[in-house]
Amino acid sequence: MTTQLLVNTACASAHCALVAVGFSLIYRTVRFFHFAHAVVYTIGAYGALALGRFAGYNIPLGVFFAVALGALAGGAMELAVYRPIRRINSSAVGLLVASLGILVALQSGVSLVFGDDTNALRWGASGYSSIGIAGARISTSQELLLAGAVVSLAVLSAFLSITRWGRLLRAVANDASLAQIVGVHLNRVVLAAFLIGSALAALAGVLWAYNTALSPTMGFTALLLGVVAAVVGGVGSLPGAVVGSLVVSAVHQFAQWRFPGEWQDAIVYVVLVVVLLVRPQGIMGKPLKTASL
Amino acid sequence: MIYLLHVIVLIGIFAILSTSLNLVAGHAGLLSMAHGAFFGIGAYTSALLSLNADFPFWAAFATSMAAGCALSVLVSGPSLRLREDYFVIAAFGFQLIVSSVFNNWVGLTRGPQGIGGIPRPRILGWNVDSQVAFALLSLTLAGASIAVVGAISRSAFGRVLRSIREDEILSQACGKSTVRTKVAAFAVSAALAAAAGSLYAHYISFIDPTGFTVMDSILILAMVIIGGAGGLFGPALGAAILVVFPEALRFVGLPGYVAGHLRQVMYGTALVLFVVLRPRGIVVKNGARR
Repeated sequence: MTTQLLVNTACASAHCALVAVGFSLIYRTVRFFHFAHAVVYTIGAYGALALGRFAGYNIPLGVFFAVALGALAGGAMELAVYRPIRRINSSAVGLLVASLGILVALQSGVSLVFGDDTNALRWGASGYSSIGIAGARISTSQELLLAGAVVSLAVLSAFLSITRWGRLLRAVANDASLAQIVGVHLNRVVLAAFLIGSALAALAGVLWAYNTALSPTMGFTALLLGVVAAVVGGVGSLPGAVVGSLVVSAVHQFAQWRFPGEWQDAIVYVVLVVVLLVRPQGIMGKPLKTASL
Repeated sequence: MIYLLHVIVLIGIFAILSTSLNLVAGHAGLLSMAHGAFFGIGAYTSALLSLNADFPFWAAFATSMAAGCALSVLVSGPSLRLREDYFVIAAFGFQLIVSSVFNNWVGLTRGPQGIGGIPRPRILGWNVDSQVAFALLSLTLAGASIAVVGAISRSAFGRVLRSIREDEILSQACGKSTVRTKVAAFAVSAALAAAAGSLYAHYISFIDPTGFTVMDSILILAMVIIGGAGGLFGPALGAAILVVFPEALRFVGLPGYVAGHLRQVMYGTALVLFVVLRPRGIVVKNGARR
């Protein structure tokens, strides 16, 4: 029972971390909450579904297609919406409103095309694999989810610390104007952040779709936990997003164990409010200046 | 005719909501994603007090405003001292908690079943039970809230609010307590949103959690942006547009769920287009007034 709870928590954290890290990566580059991240996740999952319907259900192909489609969608949002807005005024409010608009429009678009009902990604695997740890069972889709999260986050971490583009991304996250002064092309780096962050969201979406099911609001549900995890861990900090995901998923799973299930989301938001009250910079975040004088 | 009056009542109610959100979003630049929650808090407070404690309409209406005002401090108190981003997150979290309470505290709110049989208002012996009377009441209150926000906007307090949007540090350097100003403005705004909720509950006479979700918060925000944030009549106009438009879509004869989603697609797209092409809203010309 307890080990099963731990396994479930690990899977939920892996899923949550993919969403939260992508969200945080974009946030720290552009400094606004990209709520349309949710619909990128949904697009990834439904992309795999559409591909499956046309070309047969194939896991590696489906995952690859979903990730590519998600990155494309995120990049298109940056190019078609956010960049023009940044050019006319720099207020974060406009960007935030636009991201809500994209979210509402595309989420309903998905509903129009695929219907409101829950869909499933059919695939060949037999469901439960032979791996059992101390009475807990791990399904193949859960293994896929865990492996996908660990590998992609490790690759991202290496990318950020070793490559030139990784250094550019970190420089802009640290201080965008300073980076521009020393000759960094801000727009290109922002586009890179959107491509990478969106690829992670779409990966989370498609892997979660294999694990459970698809519905048009799945991205929004996932983003809510992802945002809470990002803030709890320290918004803008990528290790913080992972730690925040562990905390939030643990609270979410264990709340289900101790309290009636319908309250588990509310408990997570209460954690969010408590963190904002007690330690607003989050677990791993840098201390905040209170008044901006 | 009855249908037309129904649309007018709804325009009045949503005009109150968008005008109230404009006070914080338009004037102070504080993007609240909790106005759907305050709308719901007003509706539930008023409905429960009328049904369970036999409050007359005016008392339930006033109490619901007080409840909105008091609960607004939960959002503004902790977060306004931090950066604006944190206000957005706190308001967002508050909206989700409130939605969860409406849905899950079945003992109080009857959960997804909703609360029915809310009586029509009776004000000083005047039974507001005809559609005409309700349209009058709704438009009067919408006018009153526009007047209140207009008066606030023209006062010294309103100038401090706008100075916060433009340059908060400068405002602090001039000796203004910007935090206190923002908390007060948010409290007034939440009270007005709750008033709209009370009116809504007593008009529709049935409320359930689906009317007060985060999507409704975004809808109210869309009204402000499309009408023009920071202006006085713009948000009310935005409310009228976004109420009439889906009603008009109803006559095209699409199946219900297609029409619903199509409406969402259109107002989401409109939101994006307005921010990109006409960030000052429909009323004010771009760059005409800052």
